[in-house]
Amino acid sequence: MRKHKKLTLGRVILYIVAYIFAFLWLFPIFWMLVSALKPVGTPVSILSKVFTGTFTFRNFILVGEKAPVWTWSLNSLIVSSAVTFGTIALTSMAAYSLSKLNFKGRGLTQLIITAGMMIPIEAIIIPLYQTMAELNLLNTYSGLVFPSLAAPIGVLIMKRCFDSIPDELIEASVLDGANPFQRWWQVCLPLSKSSMAAVGIFTFKNAWNDFLWPFLSVTSEKMMTLPVGIPQFQGANLSEFVLPMTASVIASVPALIVFLIFQKQIMQGIAMTGIKG
Amino acid sequence: MKGATNSERLKNIIKENIAAWLFLIPYLGFFICFLLFPILRGMYVSLFDAALGRESIFVGLENYVTIFKDKAFWQSLFNTLFFVIISTPAIVLVGFVFAIFVNSKLKGTTFLRVSYFASYVLSMAVVTGLWIFIYQPYTGLLSVITNALGLGEIYWLNTKWLVWFAILVTTIWWTVGFNMVLFLVGLQDIPDEIYEAAEIDGANSRQILFRITIPLLRDTTVLVILLQTISSFKLFGQTYLMAGGGPGTHTRTLVHYIYETGFTNRRMGLAAAMSVAFFVVVLLVSLLQNKVFAKK
Repeated sequence: MRKHKKLTLGRVILYIVAYIFAFLWLFPIFWMLVSALKPVGTPVSILSKVFTGTFTFRNFILVGEKAPVWTWSLNSLIVSSAVTFGTIALTSMAAYSLSKLNFKGRGLTQLIITAGMMIPIEAIIIPLYQTMAELNLLNTYSGLVFPSLAAPIGVLIMKRCFDSIPDELIEASVLDGANPFQRWWQVCLPLSKSSMAAVGIFTFKNAWNDFLWPFLSVTSEKMMTLPVGIPQFQGANLSEFVLPMTASVIASVPALIVFLIFQKQIMQGIAMTGIKG
Repeated sequence: MKGATNSERLKNIIKENIAAWLFLIPYLGFFICFLLFPILRGMYVSLFDAALGRESIFVGLENYVTIFKDKAFWQSLFNTLFFVIISTPAIVLVGFVFAIFVNSKLKGTTFLRVSYFASYVLSMAVVTGLWIFIYQPYTGLLSVITNALGLGEIYWLNTKWLVWFAILVTTIWWTVGFNMVLFLVGLQDIPDEIYEAAEIDGANSRQILFRITIPLLRDTTVLVILLQTISSFKLFGQTYLMAGGGPGTHTRTLVHYIYETGFTNRRMGLAAAMSVAFFVVVLLVSLLQNKVFAKK
């Protein structure tokens, strides 16, 4: 480890520039959080009026009366949780099979799943919509959850993790009479908690913020998630800042809290996998 | 296994095959239905004059001829490429600079890292909503500054080219944290001894940056550039939500045009053909990326 260096002129400039950018990056978020606490009608672009005067939590009630923001939050929570738990369960099973079991067609399956990584959702919105319409899954939770469960990245991350579990450990449990299910549940899963956490955190963040597919597949206001509902709400209230900001805060606080708690893991996860949301 | 007879061994192989497929099928079901089948179906639909709720007519490659002759398609491709070209160097460079800041052993490193990265966890809807309020003339946050500077009201999101600048700034603010983290990992892989040796040899910080840091980050940089290129190609939310693809069709991107053709104008076959074209472009970049990854 290198020590903190001596303060030269260059370092002073570095400090100033780095902290100015940190301020610029944080300020919009801070502005949003504070604006949501101002009485409706406050001209929040006049900063002296944002940071002084009265603060109130009433907006969180008012915004719910103006638009079904709490229904959208509930939908977001249901969909993101289902996607997260579904992804962890499905990908850890599939990855275990690909990594630790011998079967006919393993190479080909692995190849097809890896190739699936290169299909962006943007390229399949038309046929996916047609398929979902035929299955009567538009405007349903299942319709929102299922496409996210198809993402291959989790399988590849979990497989890389299982690959690093020594075969001797597995063989030992075979000698103890463990069947494939027990080997997965009792040997492999306990050793891959950190990878499962990485997959889970990322999946949750992406599902919580997912825009394109919910935007296309949900037309009923009651089934909207926050990322789809908020722009619509804001579009109808462009002259009034406070309530749209409040809705945005409701959508952002869970993601920000998850981030602050898990920031180390999130950044390690990116490093490990290079997943871009 | 020792002592296992042939028939026992065969039984075990069959058992393992069955177990393997049982583990795979739940995931594969979703993968096939909602990823693999749609992409193949998209290619198939692109050969038809198809719309929701009526019979499709086989037209062969006619949809591809149509989009080839469609000026609006080329414009949306141009808009997308334009954004790729302006955004990729900008976001990669800012990400690199932020990574250098965080890696410079300043006091408050964690604070800096968290500050640069926090916006990345916000949803696109929140980010665009926030920046609409920043850019909005008369009542927006920037309006206060431009008025103080005597520039008057600027219609950031309704002025050609200026709108691209506004969207670029928004996108940098939103996503640069991701690139920063990738660069940071690359930087931390460079052993301290190399820097120490360079310092003993009397290298100044500029020489260290250009002769050591940048060359050693080559692989990371290539990876970041490719990921950023793909991500910029998919641009839709920012331009759609902030500018509606406007002014006019000035910021209508490829994905936006696919959406309009398929969902607004209900020409599914044509939109599917555009999707195939879009997919091919993204695929080429991904293949390049895999090649780089494989080398690592």
